[in-house]
Amino acid sequence: MDLRELFFDPNHPTLLGSCARAATAEEARFRVQYPNSRTRASRIFALDPAAAEAMYKITEAPWNGAHFLTLATQEAIDPEKTNASDLPLSHPDGSPARLDDEIDGADVVVLLATDGNAEGAAEVIARECFHRNIMCAGLALGGSAPQAKVDRVVNSMRRFARVLVVANDDDYIPAMLTALRA
Amino acid sequence: MLRKEINDLLTQTDTGTPMGDMFRQYWIPALLAKELPEDDCPPVRVKLLGERLIAFRDSKGRYGLIDEFCAHRGASLWFGRNEEGGLRCPYHGWKFDYTGQCIEVPSEPEESGFCEKIKLRGYPLIKIGDVLWTHMGDKENRPPEPEWEFAKVPPEQTYTSKRWQECNWLQAMEGGIDSSHVSFLHSGSLASDPLFKGAKGNQYNQNDKKPVFEVVESDGGLYIGARRMAENDQYYWRITPWVMPSFTMVPPRGDHPVHGHFWIPIDDVNCWAWSFDYHPTRALTKEERQAMMDGYGVHNQYVPGTFRPRQNKDNDYLMDREAQKRGESYSGIWGIAMQDASLQESMGPIVDRTKENLVSTDNGIIMARHRLRKAAVALRDKGVMPPGRDTAHQQVRSAAKVLPQDQPFKEAMKEDLTVRPGVKQTSV
Repeated sequence: MDLRELFFDPNHPTLLGSCARAATAEEARFRVQYPNSRTRASRIFALDPAAAEAMYKITEAPWNGAHFLTLATQEAIDPEKTNASDLPLSHPDGSPARLDDEIDGADVVVLLATDGNAEGAAEVIARECFHRNIMCAGLALGGSAPQAKVDRVVNSMRRFARVLVVANDDDYIPAMLTALRA
Repeated sequence: MLRKEINDLLTQTDTGTPMGDMFRQYWIPALLAKELPEDDCPPVRVKLLGERLIAFRDSKGRYGLIDEFCAHRGASLWFGRNEEGGLRCPYHGWKFDYTGQCIEVPSEPEESGFCEKIKLRGYPLIKIGDVLWTHMGDKENRPPEPEWEFAKVPPEQTYTSKRWQECNWLQAMEGGIDSSHVSFLHSGSLASDPLFKGAKGNQYNQNDKKPVFEVVESDGGLYIGARRMAENDQYYWRITPWVMPSFTMVPPRGDHPVHGHFWIPIDDVNCWAWSFDYHPTRALTKEERQAMMDGYGVHNQYVPGTFRPRQNKDNDYLMDREAQKRGESYSGIWGIAMQDASLQESMGPIVDRTKENLVSTDNGIIMARHRLRKAAVALRDKGVMPPGRDTAHQQVRSAAKVLPQDQPFKEAMKEDLTVRPGVKQTSV
């Protein structure tokens, strides 16, 4: 039975089965091989000590230029009184970093948190992302912790993150960053 | 982006592969019950997880799913005579029962007991709801029988279909948890499809094309929440559950029946897209059931006598560029199911994920792959049984609800996301 004949309808002209040919494994060989994206600028911020510990486990991996940063203070940040240049940040080697320098030209910002204590810092970072049209994602670690604690972490980032993930295990950090070509 | 070795691990499901071994730890849908409608009816060829099998229903109503090929000379038992408690190969008369045990070898003396030494591989086949389910793993690790709500409600409340999809199971399944495509690919159907239209929630979808996503792990898989702005600074949430390895549900709209899918590998380059609709508390109306049979909602039309969609790659899915221009269909393809399938098949038999460029809103997909990989590796290396086998993990529902901004959906919608017999779905 010729399906094209069976289904031919002048109001729905078929395209002679081009999809059938195009979707074969043989045709897949002819897909143009080239790097179809440029390196992304990814910035990962650990908002508390436990998140920083989880992040430090992977910072030595060969990333595509991702920057890993931590808060240099555990004191509460008042977002109303803190400019981007005032947020105390550190590189993994302990050297200081400036938020506005770090996210200038960034494509994606990922916030890592295991508690809800850094809502102020999250707001300062997310505010800069918003002003610069940078995608901001939040990753709440320790999803298997008591629900109230998880809720607190999630609520600390909900207002700011376009995407929020609650992960049970720290090994989701490298899985996510690899998938995002960080 | 996914490294090639991980893509291979997730997409290959033949015997002896990590993901194949994992699928073999679950009860999976094998056939529609109506494919074996009566005792001694014709046998049906079945290919699952790269294994060629034959399904039949014997004279006593027992379902069998056994190796397709006769142990004698390798002839297909599709030609078999289904009679008197077994399937007999018409070549030399060897006969097999529903377990695959050979029960007659006419050329050998009956007293020799020769036939007892011959057994085809066989898997259990059980009927629950509209579906015949099989477990293709070791008997000692057989999980409890499935208790998905769509299969447990009374028959008048549920409808199930299946269609052949010509690509790897994973790229098909990923469509089921990719909530961000709905605002584009299916946008034309929300207003016109009889199984979607008229719900208040549709307006939130249309008014806010950039949902914000939250991905939360559950015991059996994930909840993927998509939120849009609603009135009074509230959020309209749509929650898609995914239960490992390949069960997904679509958040409901109004009082329409609830939709969902199973994505089951036939082999590495074909899969079954199982689609169900059910209502937890009422019978489907005549109009709803007819719409499902006519291919609306998550269902599709067929090449007569087959499970191949009427719109398929041989006729370019009956692409209608004029309907696209008129705004009736965003992609030019009719029907929600084939809008998805056409694009997923266009990716190729197994999409090369080393070339993809995922973005943050793809975190549902990223997390699902992560959990699948971890579970497959844990099973392979440590013998740890994967999530989703426990019937408690199967007691999930999709849901849609308007919530105050400060309420995490997983906690605020805990009951809504759980099967509650006699209580209707939470929907907007």
